[in-house]
Amino acid sequence: MKSRWLWVVFLVLSVQWWAMPCASLAADSGRLVEKDGQYVFVESIDPATRLLLERALKQGTITQEEYNNVIQESERRAYLTQPSFKAWYDRGFNLSMNDNAFLLKIRGFVQIRFTQRFRNDAWRNPGEAKNFPELLGVFGDYRANRSENDASQFNLRRVRLMFMGHLFSPDLKYLIQLAGETAENAQNPGSVQVLDAAVTSTHVPWLNVMLGQYKTYFNRAQINNSMSMQFAERALVMDAFTASGLNRRDIGLTIMNDEEIYPVNYYFGIFNGLGPGFNRFGSFGSEQPTEGCSGGQSGGTPTGCDTAQRNLNANFRSDVSQLMYVARLMWNVMGRPGYGEGDMVYSETPQLAVGGGYAYNPAINTATDNGFIGTDLANLNVRRQLATYGNGRQLGWGVLDYSTYAFDVVYKYRGFSLQAEWYWKNINRHQKGAPYLGVPGAGTGGYAPALLGNATGWYAESGYFILPRKLQAAVRYAWWDPDTNAAGDLIKQVDAALTYYISGTYDHQVTLQYSNVFIGTGGYALARSAPLPSPPVALNSFGTVPLDAVQRNLIENAIRIQYSIMF
Amino acid sequence: MLVITVVAASDGCARLPYTTTTIHQSQLVHVVLQQEVKPAGYTHPVQLTAGQVASMLRGFSLRSEQRVPLRWFADEQPPQTMLRDDEIARLAPFLVEAFQEAGPEARVHFSLSAPGMNRVDAKTVTSGWMAVRDPYLYITIEYYHTEMPIRSSDRYLPNNPQMPPLPGSFLLFFEPGRFWSIDRSGVRALEYREFLKSASAGRSTP
Repeated sequence: MKSRWLWVVFLVLSVQWWAMPCASLAADSGRLVEKDGQYVFVESIDPATRLLLERALKQGTITQEEYNNVIQESERRAYLTQPSFKAWYDRGFNLSMNDNAFLLKIRGFVQIRFTQRFRNDAWRNPGEAKNFPELLGVFGDYRANRSENDASQFNLRRVRLMFMGHLFSPDLKYLIQLAGETAENAQNPGSVQVLDAAVTSTHVPWLNVMLGQYKTYFNRAQINNSMSMQFAERALVMDAFTASGLNRRDIGLTIMNDEEIYPVNYYFGIFNGLGPGFNRFGSFGSEQPTEGCSGGQSGGTPTGCDTAQRNLNANFRSDVSQLMYVARLMWNVMGRPGYGEGDMVYSETPQLAVGGGYAYNPAINTATDNGFIGTDLANLNVRRQLATYGNGRQLGWGVLDYSTYAFDVVYKYRGFSLQAEWYWKNINRHQKGAPYLGVPGAGTGGYAPALLGNATGWYAESGYFILPRKLQAAVRYAWWDPDTNAAGDLIKQVDAALTYYISGTYDHQVTLQYSNVFIGTGGYALARSAPLPSPPVALNSFGTVPLDAVQRNLIENAIRIQYSIMF
Repeated sequence: MLVITVVAASDGCARLPYTTTTIHQSQLVHVVLQQEVKPAGYTHPVQLTAGQVASMLRGFSLRSEQRVPLRWFADEQPPQTMLRDDEIARLAPFLVEAFQEAGPEARVHFSLSAPGMNRVDAKTVTSGWMAVRDPYLYITIEYYHTEMPIRSSDRYLPNNPQMPPLPGSFLLFFEPGRFWSIDRSGVRALEYREFLKSASAGRSTP
């Protein structure tokens, strides 16, 4: 199976190589140079010399052949004596060789946000422990996300530095994006990390190849750049239904065709499936010293295995041969609306596109396969990513296979835009039965009373440029059922935003957004709802008290003012 | 609000001039007719020759207008020739055709492109529009040697939408200045028929 994929990669690269066009150089009789912010066309030959030559030709002092030779020599001399590189500003700082074989473009992106938040008392108790729990310590004990009612804070929401350009030819592109930002709920200051590191071949328009770490081409909301959103932030449901379920970025390879040439666009990618900067070598389970016997067993010991002995040693690298597969198809029915949200370009004709994606991400270990399933050790990075993207209800259910579907539609016309997307995630548990939580007693132990279901959600958003290219109003409604087996767990979100685009482009904007988020706290979440697993296994940071002992729904109203600049 | 926007969109009322006819489109020259959104009352169609159009275009020069407060402090730059001879030669025949086909509510929009600093990603554009309401010819320049993205999506930062900059503001000049008048609404315009009758037009006509 794997050798087959290697052949596919080899074949793709071979086609790329064959289709590479030969490099060709062209000399101009003059060139555009930037002077005081204006681009001015400058002839290679000195105007006074040209005038004298033309007069000499007219008077018959020199022949046409001599004139042509002198002009050519002069231009050749000017070409050879000019610097071999050029530097200028245009959507970033650009440095290029004169033959355009190499380009370095440096861009920055800063997003500064002020948040005024009002939460109801339910955020104090029970807090949010099911979709967005916090995971503590080495074992990732669950803690509820709780807070006071009101909050007023500044936040560096996005700080990016991008190095991009092309190498050897304009069709071999590279992108390195560094981020040093802090999420609204982060407990530590953001450190610099690599968001994107990718090389793209565009030699063959119908077979572009992208290799490295980047955003997977799966659902519209995530493919879109964060600078061109209609709102200050994506809706919660958009983040929950990424291809991997863990992060919008991953490491792998994608083949696709050129979006601006073909009316139907395809994307097919193979990834590790564990998010950025990580791979399956870090996916582990715990075993007892006897091979095949899962660790931490305290009951229901498999035949041939020793009885209870706790062993959370994370000693076995499991599922290291698994990969994630992502496919997307998009049809530009009318025009070419692109992925940017809102009709900033003020489309003169209707623009309509429909698309759909499918992602299969197998063997995500949310807890070790043992008797204490639900609480035992699995890779903390994987578990924390699930919790960060709102998939915390899936934690603790052993090894899961995700099959995620996304369908989207977008329409734009004369400043108006409408975009909607529907998601479905089929969750296949490798361990089919109800998890064993240990010996019953004092509200703990026994078997889990309910099983994890699937997940689904959708959103619709619409915007209108009140002043073309300058001022946009937008509204959004999002709905999300994180566990189809649970009741009272729906998440509903309403947003309204007003954005002023200072320079008439996405690159410089101020957004005022109001958000109302309702989060249902119902349903069973492993190791957070009763019955809890029996001690001595770590349960949560509150001992044997379930985190949802108090049943109240969470409501948050927030106003965000955000300034963004990309330079 | 959603209802309001849906109604606004289905109504489809244009708030900016929009293209109705493409006269010519190539990599270098793009000439179209744009429908005005407010009553304009132009005296189109107009019969002109390529030589007449060229002689008029040769007379124009321009200077970018600084915004307040920079306008008060910045040094004024000398006006630059609006279009080079080779650009005028490429553009004039299509402007003639456009003025012949334009109706009273349409304006003639033109765009001249050249390779940009990074020729695979950008082009350098000079564009604007012209219209005739006898006895005046109106001309507005939107971009002058401005770097513009070729594609609507960034080639280097995937799926980052690319937008052209907003149109600039330019002060136009015409030589000989006696034909550069102000119409009844206070807008600068060229008394083109008078100019074409004059000896200066004749001298510059190829």
